[in-house]
Amino acid sequence: MMTQQVSTPDELVSALTDGELSGEAFVTSVQWLEESEEARASWHAYHLVGDVLRSGEMAATGAHDAAFVARLRSRLQGEVQFVHTEHAIDLEVSDARHERVGGINRHDVANDASFRWKLVAGFASVAAVAVVGWQLVAGVNAPSGAPQLAQVELRPAEIQAQVMIRDPQLDQLLAAHQQSGGISALQMPAGFLRNATYDRPAR
Amino acid sequence: MKGPTLSAGNDSDLLLVERTLAGDARAFELLVIKYQRRIQRLIARMVRDVDLVEDIAQETFIRAYRALHQFRGEAQFYTWLYRIAVNTAKKFLLELKRDPLVTESALKNEDDEDETSRSGSEPMEEETPESLLAAREIVAVVNAALQALPDDLRQAVTLREIEGLTYEEIALVMDCPIGTVRSRIFRAREAISAKVKPLLENQSGKRW
Repeated sequence: MMTQQVSTPDELVSALTDGELSGEAFVTSVQWLEESEEARASWHAYHLVGDVLRSGEMAATGAHDAAFVARLRSRLQGEVQFVHTEHAIDLEVSDARHERVGGINRHDVANDASFRWKLVAGFASVAAVAVVGWQLVAGVNAPSGAPQLAQVELRPAEIQAQVMIRDPQLDQLLAAHQQSGGISALQMPAGFLRNATYDRPAR
Repeated sequence: MKGPTLSAGNDSDLLLVERTLAGDARAFELLVIKYQRRIQRLIARMVRDVDLVEDIAQETFIRAYRALHQFRGEAQFYTWLYRIAVNTAKKFLLELKRDPLVTESALKNEDDEDETSRSGSEPMEEETPESLLAAREIVAVVNAALQALPDDLRQAVTLREIEGLTYEEIALVMDCPIGTVRSRIFRAREAISAKVKPLLENQSGKRW
């Protein structure tokens, strides 16, 4: 980067066309382009000349470029506009990138380095730790649900209610056709099979 | 007095994007003026219908504007814009294929994204004789104006526009100060533009 004297705004526009401007010179030339129709015509002509020198094919739309931009301009007016900030002149625009008109459409993202999000994340962490801690403490002091069900004692009335009503004739029939195995196939108490196998106490 | 700063870097696109994001819509127009011809030529490789080419180019710039806050300057602005143009054109082509009223002639090979794959002499289907004539006239005027330039101006603008050298590199090649390079390029452009501008105004009747 170096410092040079530039005499005319159009010469600045030419240097801007080549991407050779920055800082104050850049701002001056862009402002000149925005204010002056002639400057915009030069900006277009400079780029068109460069394009045509590189490829004659680029001349195809040259005569319609102004109409194209005018049409696009009217369409863009219907789009959400970016907020105009004083920083535009200073090119300090990084913070303004996501702002829209009236701040309505500001794009907040969770990983924004803003204090508000840090605060939310902090509260969420504390809440999560509290919930887990409370569950651990409650779990130590209270018996679990499964053993409670196993330890329920049956009252006599309930036991009586569960006495199986046996049919003497069926018992005789089963005794007459006693199986040689004697033990249920499951090797464990199984009420629903007991009637069918008629287990006898082992000898 | 300290003059304006010149930088050899080609980051003016990024600066224009930043100005747009800061609320300066005119800055985006400067980018449009700069790239619209390349974008339209790219789209013309994929779509034959010249009216569709312009519609897709318009849509490309609208989409680019909407997504401008996502451009971080990690790639060249044109590279970023190029991808938007290709994706927009593909979307249009997909919709066209679903439309039974659209003829085959409106479509080209949609995988053909190469800017160099179409010869410069092959016209788009709906290019009129008048538009072809106008384009040829512009090319003829530009080339004639270039040839009419003094040697030092012609060399400077050729090194810049065709060879793509920076001011610093041109200064080394031509063995002169950078300020002289800038001045020569400017004068060359002014001389050529002076011939082209009246032609453009007569053809389009539109002003900037």
